[in-house]
Amino acid sequence: MKDTIHPNPGENVVEEDLSAIPVRVDQVTKQYFGDKFTAVDNVSLDLKENQITAFIGPSGCGKTVTLRLIAGLEYPSFGRITCFGETVRGPGPERGMIFQAYTSFPWLTGLENVAYGLKINGVGKEEREEKARKMLKLVHLEKFEKTLPKEMSGGMKQRVAIARTLAQNPKLLLMDEPFGALDAQVRWEMQEMMIEIIERERKTVVTVTHDIGEAIYLADRIIFFTRQPGKIKADIPVEFKGGRRYPRKEEMMLLPGYVELETRLFAMMREEIHGRVS
Amino acid sequence: MSADEPTKDIPCEVVENLGAAAITVRKECTPTEQNPPMAVGNHISTPTAPRFHPPPTTFWSLRARLPQRRISILGIVGALMFFGLWETGHYFLPAEKARFLPTVEDVFKTLFYLFLDKGYTRDVLVSCYRIFVSFFAACIIAVPLGIGMGCFASLRALVNPTASGWRYLPATSFIPLLLVWFGPTDLAKMGVLWIGVLFFLLALVLDNTEAVLPELVEAALTMGASRKEVVLGVVTRAAAPAIMDSMRNMIAVGWTYLVIAEIVGANEGIGAVMMRAGRFLHVDIIMAGILTIGILGVLTDVAFRLARTYLFRWAVAQRG
Repeated sequence: MKDTIHPNPGENVVEEDLSAIPVRVDQVTKQYFGDKFTAVDNVSLDLKENQITAFIGPSGCGKTVTLRLIAGLEYPSFGRITCFGETVRGPGPERGMIFQAYTSFPWLTGLENVAYGLKINGVGKEEREEKARKMLKLVHLEKFEKTLPKEMSGGMKQRVAIARTLAQNPKLLLMDEPFGALDAQVRWEMQEMMIEIIERERKTVVTVTHDIGEAIYLADRIIFFTRQPGKIKADIPVEFKGGRRYPRKEEMMLLPGYVELETRLFAMMREEIHGRVS
Repeated sequence: MSADEPTKDIPCEVVENLGAAAITVRKECTPTEQNPPMAVGNHISTPTAPRFHPPPTTFWSLRARLPQRRISILGIVGALMFFGLWETGHYFLPAEKARFLPTVEDVFKTLFYLFLDKGYTRDVLVSCYRIFVSFFAACIIAVPLGIGMGCFASLRALVNPTASGWRYLPATSFIPLLLVWFGPTDLAKMGVLWIGVLFFLLALVLDNTEAVLPELVEAALTMGASRKEVVLGVVTRAAAPAIMDSMRNMIAVGWTYLVIAEIVGANEGIGAVMMRAGRFLHVDIIMAGILTIGILGVLTDVAFRLARTYLFRWAVAQRG
């Protein structure tokens, strides 16, 4: 694992061309309360372009913190994160983020919400509304242009948030348990919608989840975090899908290899829960 | 299958092949003799069972949802009970003491007399002017400062310890000071109202601002929002309905300070009228004054509620 990040440990890392790597997390440690609590412990990883990576692990394993560090919403205590060669020094529109909490602005209609990001970045009214309409269609909300979030269901609010993030055409899509607040049937619908969108828009995606089934369905690569301190326990390519993405979840579940991977992840999760005193 | 296709031969079970497993999916049913119509889609069947009668809603039903009619009736009954109690009090008191508790109709008569013969309208308007101007002056400072303190930790650290201390100082204790500084002017009276509202409003606005979901701010930041956009476009907008509620609650406090503020050196205003009446034991005028403040208070409250509903149609129902 380490070898893929630093092919030649003796060489100066700075000279390496990072502009083709969507995200490099380089020996990142995140501590809180001075140095009393280490949430992320010396984590290194590279993300590949157009890949969906899932961060999975028990609660308190540092998966969300790592995502927030990539988003620039927090800063690492040690190490460095680069996004296409640029050191991350704060949040920016090229790294779009979707949160577990509903973040569609309640004072804006569906269309205004989706156009918001474009508006604050100086895109003209007609252009941004046209783009926003397209994005609403992508999340199947074309009939809810004028609807306020208070009249929407949780799933619809979350779809507005997804459309709003995508409207800015981010290079990187970061999702922090995006469907965690939704009920099981809506969550499953949203997962399939997400696959459809990512397949169409060709995005590099990182999603944080504690749902093993969701991780396997969405991801091309699963990174399993371990708890206290937060380290990478395993880096698992999802090989049984053969690089394909399935618009229907049950189609993927019928593939040989699905159950094996799910079982393996369950076993790892059990080991995490029972293997440590916390 | 489309609707205009012939319906006679459509099988009820449609088998779909999904990968390796054949899954039977019940797709569409045509009502035939074998398949009577089911309560699916937009077809609602006629109830065949007798109507179910739930236990009736009584006065002590726990957290019941009352029909609007009953809510109105109970409200009126409550008000009538209050006036009834007051009226009964008058008739139960011995004659020499009864004049200190005039009847309800006496107080209302006095109120009309004040408006018609005593130029009470001017007093009411002067009091309203004092309340609204001092309240506006408090808002102009407390609302932007509270939002700023909620957004910038340094500003909060700078202001909050001192401002918190001020909340413990009774506004009335500033009356002598304000009289020395400004004399028996409007400024002195409005100063009391201003001090009484300012520091509590500041604390409430700070609270409202900090209650804004951090994810809203973070979402804006990840879309490239500037600091100005986050403060004005996200935090202020998100907190605005709650701030409006805080303002409504604090103008009520302003009304409660009115009489005290108008106690000294005032010859105009509801409070002044009441203090003068007190000297001559005109209990009916004092009570008419209290009633005026109550009515004006309720009207202010209703105005704020209506404004909030109108301005923030996007927001969910208000508290308090």
